[in-house]
Formats: sequence, C-alpha cells, structure tokens
Amino acid sequence: MKWQCALLQRWLPEYPDGDLPAFWLRRLKPHVERCTRCRQELAALKEMAQAVRTSPVADPGPEFWNDFSRELHLKLVQAAQEGRMAPARSSWWGRIPYLAGASALAALLLWVAVSYQTPRQPGPASPQIAQQEGTTEKLAAAPQAPAPAGQEPNNYLYVSSNHGEGTPPEEDLGDDLDSTLSGMTAQQKETFLKRLSQQQKDGSCLKRYSSISWA
Amino acid sequence: MTDAQLVARAQDGDLQAFEELVVKYQREIYGLACRMVSDPEEAKDLSQQAFMQAFIYIRSFRQDAQFRTWLFRIAINQCYNFLKSRKKFGEPVDCDEVALVGEEDSPEEELVSRDERQRVYAALKKLPPKQQAVLTLKLEQGLSYQEISEVLGGTPGAARVNYCQALKNLKKYLKSEEEDEVAMRTSTAVATRVSRR
Repeated sequence: MKWQCALLQRWLPEYPDGDLPAFWLRRLKPHVERCTRCRQELAALKEMAQAVRTSPVADPGPEFWNDFSRELHLKLVQAAQEGRMAPARSSWWGRIPYLAGASALAALLLWVAVSYQTPRQPGPASPQIAQQEGTTEKLAAAPQAPAPAGQEPNNYLYVSSNHGEGTPPEEDLGDDLDSTLSGMTAQQKETFLKRLSQQQKDGSCLKRYSSISWA
Repeated sequence: MTDAQLVARAQDGDLQAFEELVVKYQREIYGLACRMVSDPEEAKDLSQQAFMQAFIYIRSFRQDAQFRTWLFRIAINQCYNFLKSRKKFGEPVDCDEVALVGEEDSPEEELVSRDERQRVYAALKKLPPKQQAVLTLKLEQGLSYQEISEVLGGTPGAARVNYCQALKNLKKYLKSEEEDEVAMRTSTAVATRVSRR
C-alpha cells in the first residue's frame, strides 16, 4: 500500500458526504478517482456500514416495554424512598476550604522561590576583603615619582596592613625609598632621615602601619 | 418539554419527569446494550441499571453536555463492567438470541436474509467492545464524532479512526465467516458423496 493510500484511507468512511473537512475532500476526491484499491476499500466500507444499518436490534414489542417500565418504576420509587439520590455537586461556597488551601500553598511556594533568588547579604568575612581592596587601592594610588622635599614623610612611605598577603611591599617600598633618597642632596637626606627616625621614636609612623621599610 | 427542562425537574426530585426521559431514550439504551452484550435479558437488566444510575446521580449532572450522551456514557460503562465480569467468569452467550428477538414485520429486515443477519451479528460480536460501541453510536444512534468522543472519551479524531478500524475488522470477520461457511458446505457435500458411494 502506498503511503498516500494509507493516509487517505483513514478518511474514507466520511467520503463523499460525511463529516469530512474540505482540505481532505480536495485531496481524497482525485485520489479515489484514480486509485483502484482505494475505490474498492471505499465500496467495502460502505457495504459494511450498510450491513450494520440493515441489521438493527429488533424492537422487542410493547409487552416487553410495559414490563420494562413497570420494573424500572418500582426500582426508581424504592430508590427515591430510600433517599439514594446523590446530592448535587457542591457549589462555589463549598469549595472555599480547597481554594484557601490552594492559595496558602501558592504563597508558600512563592516565598520559597523568592528566598532562593534573593542574593546573599555580605557576611563577616567581607570587611576583610574590603580592607584588602582598600589597601590595594592605596598601593595603586601611591605616587611613583619622588615628591618634593617639603612634603609630609607619610606620603613617601609605602605600607601594608597585612603581612604575607598580596604583593610583598618591601621590595617596592625599598626601591622607592632608594630612588627618593637618591634624588636628594646629602643635607636633604639627613633632614629626611632625622624626621623619619623622630617619627619612629614617637611611634606615629608605626602606630597605623604594621610594616615599614626604608634604606 | 425539552430534555433540559425535564432534567431540571428530575433534579428537583420529580420522578415523573425522569420517567418521561426514560420513555424517550429506553429504546436507544436497550439497543446499545443489546449490541454490546448480545443478550436481550442482560441488555434489559443493564438498561435498567443505567437508568437507575442516571436517576441516582441526576443532581450531579451539569447541563454542559447533552443528557442523551451522558446517558449513553453510563450505559456503556455498565456494559463494560458486565463484559469484564463475563470474561472473568466465562459465561457463554449465544449470539442467535439477539437475532431471534421480534424479527418480524420490519421492512429493512425483509431486505436482508436471516443468514446474512446472523453473520453480521456474529461478526459484530467479535469486535472489541469499544469498536462495537462506536459502530452502534455512529450508525444506529447517528452521533457525530464529537458526541462519540464525549461518550467514550478521547478525541473526535480517535473516534473516527476507531470507526474506520471497526468497519475494516467487520469486513475481515465477515469474510472469514463466509469462508467458514463455504468450507462447511464443501465438506458436507463431500461427505454426502462419500456416503452415496
């Protein structure tokens, strides 16, 4: 059997005057005219339908129906007297408990979904991270060129508040201090180092920073 | 009075209104049951059971669907249950019973010989219950595929495919019945010749 025949034969019982969509009627009509097998199939289906129609279940006669009605009437009366009729379906008001339960469940699910999607609040470790970031910024913002001699010595010191983490500050600081000192005259160097040692003695330099290096 | 009005009255407990519905549909329900179980006595009991179920649950019937299709659905469920129990307990039923019930004075029946009807009944009986129901609802009760799908469940397309398959199966079973009959006649003729010799 061709695929076209198999496809169209599903609509054959409705051809030509049945409940057939126009789309299939347009395709079925020319196909049936040219396909012998489908024509035979159509004739056979019509014959079967006709055979069923012409072999109906015979009417059993008025006596049968009298008995039928009498028996059924007795059963119906008995059922009505015993109150066996099922109650009507519950109205909208009867469904309120179910609706309330459904809305509560929906609210719970919504809450769970929202709580999963909300980003987490910053934890106790975050300030450290912020401090590290701040330190990095401080290092990044440090001046690269030697400053004029009149400026505060704190501006020339490169410090770090954390030991052993991130970029080791000693090398950079040492290089910068060396380069700073190398650009000074001997008198300036002496003044600078005095001031620095004074600050060291006061502790003002080390009070805020945990490490310092100079030449 | 329309079905909707009778149903509304029956829902209020009016037994007479329900009995009017019974009278209106009893032949259709009985014919359907007869087709499906091939036994007039059982078909009568099943029809009565179907009406009883309809009466008991009439208040739960919402008028979204037709009362007729709802009634067909109840009757078919009753028949399915009966066929299941018969299959379980193996009760034999002779298909000749249906054909012999009141087969006189119908003009359609005069056109078809008794033997042909017997063959059609026998072939119909071989069909699966759902296909029997589809054939009956479509050809005898004149339901559309939409209505058949409401009665049997599924889609109108599935009902159409079932109907087509039922006709094809019926053709196959009728053909095998004919072949059996020819074989029987041939063997009888051969036996007669042999006995003459």
